[in-house]
Amino acid sequence: MARVYSVFARPLIQGDKRLAQVTEDVCRPMERRPGPWWWAAFTASSALLLLGMSAITYQIATGVGTWGLNTTVGWAFDITNFVFWIGIGHAGTLISAILYLFRQRWRTSVNRSAEAMTLFAVMCAGLFPVIHMGRPWLAYWIFPYPNTRGSLWINFRSPLAWDAFAISTYFIISALFWYVGLIPDLATIRDRGKPGFRQRLAALFSLGWDGSYRTWNRYEMAYLLLAGLATPLVVSVHTIVSWDFAVAVIPGWHATIFPPYFVAGAIFSGLAMVLTLMIIARKTMGLEDYITVRHIERLCKLIIATGGMVGLAYLTEFFMAQYSGNRYEQFVFLNRAMGPFAWAYWTMVSCNVLAPQLLWFRKIRTNLAVVFLLSLLINVGMWFERFVIIVTSLHRDYLPSSWAGYSPTVIEVATLLGSFGLFFTMFLLFCRVLPVIAMGEVKGVLSYGRKHGEGHP
Amino acid sequence: MNQELHFTPSPRTRLLLRLLAGVGVLSLLAGAALAPERAWGSLFMASYALVCLGLSGTFFIALTYACGASWAVALRRIPEAMSAVMPFGAVGVAAVLLFRPSLYPWTHEAAAHELSGFKAAWLNWPFFLARAAVYFAVWLLFTRLIVRTSRAQDRDGDPAHTFRNTKLSVAFLPLFAVTFSMASVDWIMSLEPEWYSTIFGVYTFSGLFSSGLAVIILLAIWMRRTGPLRDFVTEEHLHDLGKLLFAFATFWMYIWFSQYMLIWYANMTEETVHFIARQRSFWLPLLVLNVILNWGIPFLALLPKFTKRTPSTLAKVAAVVIAGRWLDLYMMVQPTVTAGAITFPWIELGVMAGAGALVVVVFLRAFRQAPETPVRDPYLTESLHYHN
Repeated sequence: MARVYSVFARPLIQGDKRLAQVTEDVCRPMERRPGPWWWAAFTASSALLLLGMSAITYQIATGVGTWGLNTTVGWAFDITNFVFWIGIGHAGTLISAILYLFRQRWRTSVNRSAEAMTLFAVMCAGLFPVIHMGRPWLAYWIFPYPNTRGSLWINFRSPLAWDAFAISTYFIISALFWYVGLIPDLATIRDRGKPGFRQRLAALFSLGWDGSYRTWNRYEMAYLLLAGLATPLVVSVHTIVSWDFAVAVIPGWHATIFPPYFVAGAIFSGLAMVLTLMIIARKTMGLEDYITVRHIERLCKLIIATGGMVGLAYLTEFFMAQYSGNRYEQFVFLNRAMGPFAWAYWTMVSCNVLAPQLLWFRKIRTNLAVVFLLSLLINVGMWFERFVIIVTSLHRDYLPSSWAGYSPTVIEVATLLGSFGLFFTMFLLFCRVLPVIAMGEVKGVLSYGRKHGEGHP
Repeated sequence: MNQELHFTPSPRTRLLLRLLAGVGVLSLLAGAALAPERAWGSLFMASYALVCLGLSGTFFIALTYACGASWAVALRRIPEAMSAVMPFGAVGVAAVLLFRPSLYPWTHEAAAHELSGFKAAWLNWPFFLARAAVYFAVWLLFTRLIVRTSRAQDRDGDPAHTFRNTKLSVAFLPLFAVTFSMASVDWIMSLEPEWYSTIFGVYTFSGLFSSGLAVIILLAIWMRRTGPLRDFVTEEHLHDLGKLLFAFATFWMYIWFSQYMLIWYANMTEETVHFIARQRSFWLPLLVLNVILNWGIPFLALLPKFTKRTPSTLAKVAAVVIAGRWLDLYMMVQPTVTAGAITFPWIELGVMAGAGALVVVVFLRAFRQAPETPVRDPYLTESLHYHN
């Protein structure tokens, strides 16, 4: 059915593309040989990955004593990294599932890569709790099943166990959702008739896609249902991550606002990572007509919205600590702002609350260099947010004689760097082997905002 | 169109409105004579509900402008007219805060509640009143500016009005978030001066918006059935409103559960006091009923597509959510008014029924002041041709 657009509607995709051109533009970068920049990036990130793998091997062989933890600060770098990475993943699901349910058609240019980012971020996140267990070879004990270990069951009341369920379900559904969305594009690669290994694989995984009306109809239904499933899942994941802290009675951890606050923060950090990746990818892969400055602007507006929610949560926590009259709560928040970790706290506030305010200005939103810089700052700020929540709440507890400090060891830093290596290595490989833009979906929005008869979509 | 401008409800509806208004006034007067504490409490509940309803109208408009959402333009006059009830609620809330401060235990038993430091400074009557004045000023000012700009566009059709309203909306949303969170703490949380919960502002917001959507749905269906919006509001719009109600009823549940579960789990005296008062004896079935009305029924009923596109079904679900809204407010306020004792809520129900009649009358008066749809909004054609 013909759609009617307002006078403000402008095409989502620039350059008056034809359908065939879309396929050509998206497939070209992955069909040509990788350039020197790709090799440089790949070398750097796989070197980091290698570093991380060595560090992980060493700490598993030696034990978690290689970390800087002590009896007071029992959680620090590992859990910070876990929450950071799981949060990064959330923006992918926001773009691919939630914006789909909201009928935001501009999402088609970024949803594929954002969702790939989700999968890689969840992989990085999963790494940390497994190492944190101390005996990762027994990690399967987290799954409840009748067993011969004296019938040893997990503690079902522990959010740590819920984490395992939520994250594994989330990963499975995200992977399925991503794969279902890929099927029409895999069929396109198959049909491009460039014989080789890629085409044979695409033929296998496109599941005999024939592009008929009925196939599309079923595909759309499956896609909608998976989007509907992924939406509550993504909220549940970071909600449960927040419960890891909030169910405790530790001042600074126990706050009822944690669930929505963590979900907003997760999406906020993930959107920043999407911007970091997209600003580079559109340039190096020549996709400026698809991921336009207006796409970047919209992502920036989402950052203002989610960043605003995070800022409000900071304020609420601080206010409520004073209002509650609970001296321990009051101490924790003053200690955050003025104690030994004040530098981390103020890094967090400047990067997460102050810096994003620049995005209110269109001049800044359309200046990609500045947006790129801001996206990096937000990533840093959101990492520090988790560090502040975890470490500052623990390091000075009820008993001043047990107060302690914390600083990460080389091994911990190397593990964090290794997780970045894993993330970027996966993303670089993804850019080489799969279409980074959902061709089938972009073709559906080509006509948006174009006057009738203009262009030939 | 002119004929529609003079839309008047049917004689039966008018009779019903008069009856409800009579019930409201009588309940309030009889309550004042028999149980003054409860009469003041119910006046507060009803006024607060009106303020929230008006705010939900402004919030809906601001949200659609900020998102550039074209679909809702055709029905925008409904939330615009709804926001006209805010001043009436403000008068009621102001009356309670000024003339019955004893509703708030900290105003007269400060020593018993051991208020000290920051809390003593914050819960201080003149400051408390000054804050309320600031909240109302912000809400009424933005509502007035946004509605006026929207109506100015009817005359000249200048797209600049759309841009101006987008700017106003974007400024309003963060201000609303901060002021409404603070108002929730001031007006409701401080009814129990010892209790605190950081999520409370989000919780009251979730109730505000899901019940606001339910009222928008009911009014849209009414105006569509009786004429004025017959040609403007389609099943597609109802479908989207239904989806939003589904989403925000679920959001309410999410926030409700987050608050309850974390307080139950940590089991700290200063926090559990709130829920213990609300699950003793007869409160427990009400606590469960609250969850069923605000989430259970709308969630199950609105899951399939057809219920959101069938006006009669959608209206019933919206009515359930509005009943749930009353119960939710009753659960928040009443245990502090009657010190946990439970009585049949005839005063509270009666006054709220009168407030309902007031909403309809004020809505109709405001709705008649402008064309029934933003006739020269640049997004109107897109909205009228909207297809899910």
